[in-house]
Amino acid sequence: MDKSMLGDLDGLPEEDKMRMAAMVDQLQIRDSLRMYNSLVERCFTDCVDTFRRKTLDKQEESCVKRCAEKFLKHSMRVGMRFAELNQGVATPD
Amino acid sequence: LRKAGQPTWRRSRYMFGMAEKEMEYRVDLFNRLTQTCFDKCVEKRYKEAELNMGENSCIDRCVSKYWQASLLILFLFADSFVYLFNCLKFLQLDFIIA
Repeated sequence: MDKSMLGDLDGLPEEDKMRMAAMVDQLQIRDSLRMYNSLVERCFTDCVDTFRRKTLDKQEESCVKRCAEKFLKHSMRVGMRFAELNQGVATPD
Repeated sequence: LRKAGQPTWRRSRYMFGMAEKEMEYRVDLFNRLTQTCFDKCVEKRYKEAELNMGENSCIDRCVSKYWQASLLILFLFADSFVYLFNCLKFLQLDFIIA
């Protein structure tokens, strides 16, 4: 992302700043909803294989919970490394 | 003269944007659910065009379990989703608990 482009935002008229903020808001919402949906799909696919009953058993439940938390931690780590690379910081081997 | 707070037309444009996001989310959820349960329940050999009894009950249970899993994850991250819920508060939130 080009840093200079974001720097110019302060010079925009009030109306445009609000539209920008609303747009960022909605993109964030959309991204959160997409992440949530793909997380549910992934964890269900990886954790549930039998359909003898219509409710999750204890094993499946804990698998889903662990999967979701693990993915979140993974996502945070990726974000951390991504930010480092964006700023041109030297990354470990 | 500008009135204090957002004028109604701008607020309704924001609502349209949020309603769009909600609709996208619902459609996406449905599509993933459909794909996933097809992969889990329907035999890939396609010996016939009809779903058999076993496939039917598998599908019913799969949908039920998928829904349960989605609520499980939703409540796990309730705190992270607070911002999300606050933005969507213009809309009725029954789509999540429905």
